[in-house]
Amino acid sequence: MSSIAERGATQSQKLMVFVLSMSLYGLATLISELIPSIQIGIVELSVEFFLFIPLTLAMLFDPLSAALGAATGELVFSEIMLGQFGGLGELEKFLTVTIGVYIAGLMVRNPKSVKQVAIAAITGPAIQLAMSAVVDIVKVQVAVDDFEAVAGLPESVFATEGFAFLNDLCFSGILFCLLPTLFLVPRLYGKIEPLLGCKPRTADNDAVPALSGHVIGWSVVGFIVAIVVACVSKAGMSIIEWEAEWAESQTAIFVGIAVAAVIALVAGFWARRSAQLKNA
Amino acid sequence: MIEKLSENVMDKVSIDFLRDQVLKNAYGNDDTPIAKLDPRVLLLWYLFFGLVPWFVSDVVVLLGMFLFTAATTRLARVAPLVLFVFALGVFSQTGYMFIVSLFFGGNLSTLIPLLVLTLKVATISLASITVFSGLDPDKLSNGLLWFGCPERLSFSIGFAYRILPILMEELQNILLSYRLRGRAPAHDTLGGKVRWLIYQVKTIVQSFYPLMLNTAKRSRTTVEALELKGYRYAATNMKVLKIKLSSLHAGRREALFAVVSVLWIALCFAAPRILEVLS
Repeated sequence: MSSIAERGATQSQKLMVFVLSMSLYGLATLISELIPSIQIGIVELSVEFFLFIPLTLAMLFDPLSAALGAATGELVFSEIMLGQFGGLGELEKFLTVTIGVYIAGLMVRNPKSVKQVAIAAITGPAIQLAMSAVVDIVKVQVAVDDFEAVAGLPESVFATEGFAFLNDLCFSGILFCLLPTLFLVPRLYGKIEPLLGCKPRTADNDAVPALSGHVIGWSVVGFIVAIVVACVSKAGMSIIEWEAEWAESQTAIFVGIAVAAVIALVAGFWARRSAQLKNA
Repeated sequence: MIEKLSENVMDKVSIDFLRDQVLKNAYGNDDTPIAKLDPRVLLLWYLFFGLVPWFVSDVVVLLGMFLFTAATTRLARVAPLVLFVFALGVFSQTGYMFIVSLFFGGNLSTLIPLLVLTLKVATISLASITVFSGLDPDKLSNGLLWFGCPERLSFSIGFAYRILPILMEELQNILLSYRLRGRAPAHDTLGGKVRWLIYQVKTIVQSFYPLMLNTAKRSRTTVEALELKGYRYAATNMKVLKIKLSSLHAGRREALFAVVSVLWIALCFAAPRILEVLS
């Protein structure tokens, strides 16, 4: 037992890291949501990039808990508390932040090595930014029906997204991710771990899994899920259209059946859940 | 411009102001018609208004949905700050794209697809503002728990509202103590202003160092207190859930709300046909 507790993080320590990362990153995103972004010429210097907080925590502690905590914190503090919850769209943000921070945390084997920390601190945000840029482009293509037909729209979307990616990476990435992380990791290393009752991560006692094909595979799956979620509207549209073509005269009946099925599902779930709770 | 900016940042966003707005939004309006509704009904309602607009591309239907969600937002008496952030968000999602597409040879015909997109985004955001800002956090997390959401999410919501004022105050104290000890560079010239801005950003980054250590201590205390109460086992135990969720009740008020929503939506979808028949 003791060897497990010494080597890896226990369940309660993981929960501690989750709570820590959630509250800190949540606070930071809440503040940054309310500060207007700074424009210098056409270069936008957005302060929205407090990603250095979860990056630092992911390098010092269990990366998965820190990554999930950061994504949850952003969701709860800046989306739900401010009423900015965008439904399925938030899932995409949740996944990209989790993947970016998790990979950055896994890349660091030894938090004392400046080189490793620096490379991870710029790769994490780069991955996150690239994924969200791709998702944004796909999303606009899907949401606007005749995307290609609208004059100037495709070029403008590619241009704005590509420019935003480079700009965010060069300015926010270096100023708000790389430098603060390089400042915080060596200072917190060895000091913050005892507060949560665990040992500092070193190169040899590392219980964190290495950055393997497995992790990359799951990240790719997560990314694809994010894109699919963004595209779900288009898919839904084509299913409905297909049904309509298939049985033109019976459209009303099919819509009726679909509505009835949804109502039945909801009612069934409601009854089942109530019974479950009653019998407990 | 930089001067205007830094004034903006420092004056508007006093931390006290933020805290007041957020707390007012969370706990200040639990006597509105929306807040009195059962959270489960509201979440189902949100599921409809958060998904269906994506599938609709008819301007009339979207406009109807938008008006309805605007009315519910009005009923929920949401804090002005939240509405401001909403307006900013909608503009930054679609408004700027129109301006940019003008540069690439677009014209007013670009406006119609973008109007549809804007209406979709606005309807969905307003629905979420109604549900997530109109409800108080305990009700919201109970509702999510009833639907079988992970306990961690509903715990996070409840915890976030309680920890946020404390964390904000702490961050402010740390920032003030940095300001007391440090000496901000003079900002009369342009170079000085840039240096001043860098100094401010540096202070914010540096103040996260003590904040991280303090929050680490606090999160350990929180988790240990939770463990003492058997949090991880209670979260999955049906008997505990039953006690916790026994306050939820859907009655006549909820039925009325649902009926009004359904009628309005039906009217929206029927509107084009009615117009056809009339003309």
